[in-house]
This record gives sequence, structure tokens and C-alpha cells, in this order.
Amino acid sequence: MPTNRLVVKETVDTYASVLLDAANAAGGQDAVLEVRDQLEVVTKALRSNVDLEVALAEEAYTPEQRETLVRNVFAGMNPALAETLLVMAERDDLGLAGRIYRAYDEQIEEKLGVAVVDVTTVVELDDALRETISNKAAQDLGKQVVLREHVDKSILGGIIMSVSGRRIDASIATQLDTARTVLKTTDGGEC
Amino acid sequence: MKASNKASRLLARAGGISAAAFTASAAFPALAFAAEEEGSGGISAILPNMTEFIPMVVAFILLLLILGKFGWPMFQGMLDKREASIKDSLEKAEEARIESERALAEYKTQLEDAKAQAAQIVADAKATGEAVKTDITAKAQAEAEQMIAKARVAIEAEKQAAIAELQASVADTSIAVASRLIGENLSDDEHRAIVARYVDEAGSFNAN
Repeated sequence: MPTNRLVVKETVDTYASVLLDAANAAGGQDAVLEVRDQLEVVTKALRSNVDLEVALAEEAYTPEQRETLVRNVFAGMNPALAETLLVMAERDDLGLAGRIYRAYDEQIEEKLGVAVVDVTTVVELDDALRETISNKAAQDLGKQVVLREHVDKSILGGIIMSVSGRRIDASIATQLDTARTVLKTTDGGEC
Repeated sequence: MKASNKASRLLARAGGISAAAFTASAAFPALAFAAEEEGSGGISAILPNMTEFIPMVVAFILLLLILGKFGWPMFQGMLDKREASIKDSLEKAEEARIESERALAEYKTQLEDAKAQAAQIVADAKATGEAVKTDITAKAQAEAEQMIAKARVAIEAEKQAAIAELQASVADTSIAVASRLIGENLSDDEHRAIVARYVDEAGSFNAN
């Protein structure tokens, strides 16, 4: 795996670009967004599963064995993503998955003119909310918006929106944490 | 002293002898002229018998010379010595008296000085004791004030810590209760209403 920052960035951009082009050629915007979701899952799996990370980096495996391992682990993924992951495994670049995911996000915005907004709420969104959120994001970003919805009970309520590293956290959990901090640090006055 | 007494006694004896001879010859001239009176009578009766008188005169002169040559100087020397001794004793006594008076006066002066010095020492000791007492009292008071101030600071710190702990506990409890109430009591529609309100109130992506 390269260590020079410029080389690494170039490598990451190349992987992201190839993946985006392949997905777009295969299935258009839907395939691109599907790959994005799957790439996010892969990134989280690689970060959280040490055994998988060690196995994929095992030098004792032959290229054939490594290909078999990757195909089995990532079976059911979009073919374009599976092929890219295979190449990354062969070149020992799976550690770049997180950066490739962010670069992929940026290239979607650049190449397709679409901003993918991750929206996290406690309940499923209805159409009215989707429209409200899409309009706000489109107005802020000045381009077409695609929402990727996530449900997370731990935020207690409210909404978290993020796009290309920018984030709006209007969750109740965060507000309660802020309130907790204020309550703990504010002088209560003389007792 | 003993030698001078002995010499005095010898002189007294010699003087006594010569005085007795002279007194005897002077008081009893009749004895010297007795034989002559018996032989011749008249004027011869009052004239001395030369054969006795001359030896007596010679003896007297010899005795006088001897005494004048040897006895008198010794006697005079003893008298001078005695006089000098007495005079010396008197002078010494006078000097001793003067010295004793001077010493007495000096002792009196020294006694007065000693009394004054003792009084001064006592006064100084009293003043020093008073100063030490005042100093110790001031130090004790200052230390007590410092201890009180430290105790107040410690109490204040503990009070603030207790308040902060209580505040944190109240905050945690309040947030926990609020979280539970929100999580359990809000319906999906209420959550959506909150989401809609937050989206309207939320800041812009461009602001980040």
C-alpha cells in the first residue's frame, strides 16, 4: 500500500472513479447509489472485523485463494464493487476503503451533479418530510439531492443530515448532551 | 622589734650605771672629802680628793665618750627608726583610712550603679517580656487567622465540589429522565413533527 499522500490520493481517486464509472455504466444512478450503500457496509465491516482484515491481508495466500476469499466474503455485492474489491485485495489496498467511500461520494456530486444526503431519524420518513428535507438540502447545496435514509433509535429524536463530510446534527440526543454539559458547567449560584 | 627592745634595755642599764655614779658622787661629796676632812679639815673639806676625783672624772669622761661614741648613735638610731616606724604607721593608717573612705565611696557608688543597673535590667526584662508577649500574641492571632482562612477556603472548595457533584448528578438524572420520556412517550407522528421543525430551524450546510 502506498504511503505518499499524493500517491495515495491519486490511488483513492482512481479506485473511486473506476468504481463510479463501472456502476454508472452498468445501472445508472440507482446502481451508483447501490454501490455507495454497499461500499459503506464494506467499510464498516472492514473497520469492525479484525479477523476479516487480517485474513484479507494474509501474505501466505496465493492470488487465487485471496480471490476466492473476497468473492465469498462479498458475495451478493454489485459486480462492479466486487471486482474493485478484488483488485484492492490483490494490491493490498483494502485499508483505503474508507477514503475511497468519501472520494466516491465527492465524485458522485461532481460527475453526476447529485448530492447524496444521509438522513438519520428515529422513525421512517414520510413523503412530506422527504420533500421538506430534499428542498432544504437542494436549496443549501444548489444541486439535485438524493436522500439515503437511516433509522437510529439512539438519537432519541430529531434529525442528522450529512453530505460529503458536512453535517447538520439536530438530534435530540445531541441537544440533551449539550444541555447536560451546560447544566454541569453553569454556576448554580449560592445555596 | 625584739632587737630594739634589747638595745633599749642595754642603754637603760648603761645609763642607769653612769647616772648612779654621777648621782652618787654629786649627792654624797662628803664621802670623798671625808678622809681629807679627817686629816686636814678647812677648805680641804670641800675640795675633792684628787686621787679619787681624777680617776672618777677620767672614768666619767671615758664612759661619756664611749656612750657618746657607741651608745648615743645606736640610741638615736633606734629613736629615729622608731619615729620613722611610727610616722610610717601613722601615714599608712592615714592612707588606709583615706583608702577605706575612697573604697567606701566607690563601693557606695558601685552599689548605686548596681542598683540602677539592676533596676534597668528589670525594666528591660519587663519591656522585653512585654514585647515578646505582644509578639507571641500577634503571631498566634495571625496563625489563627490563617488557619481560619484556610479552613474557609477548604470549606468553600468542598462546598463548590459538592454543589458541582450535585449539579452533575441532577443534570445526569434530568437528562436520563428526559431521554426516557422522549423515547417512550413520543409517537411516530410527533417525532416527524419534531423532525420537520428541526429541519426548518436547522442551519445551512453551507454554514458548516
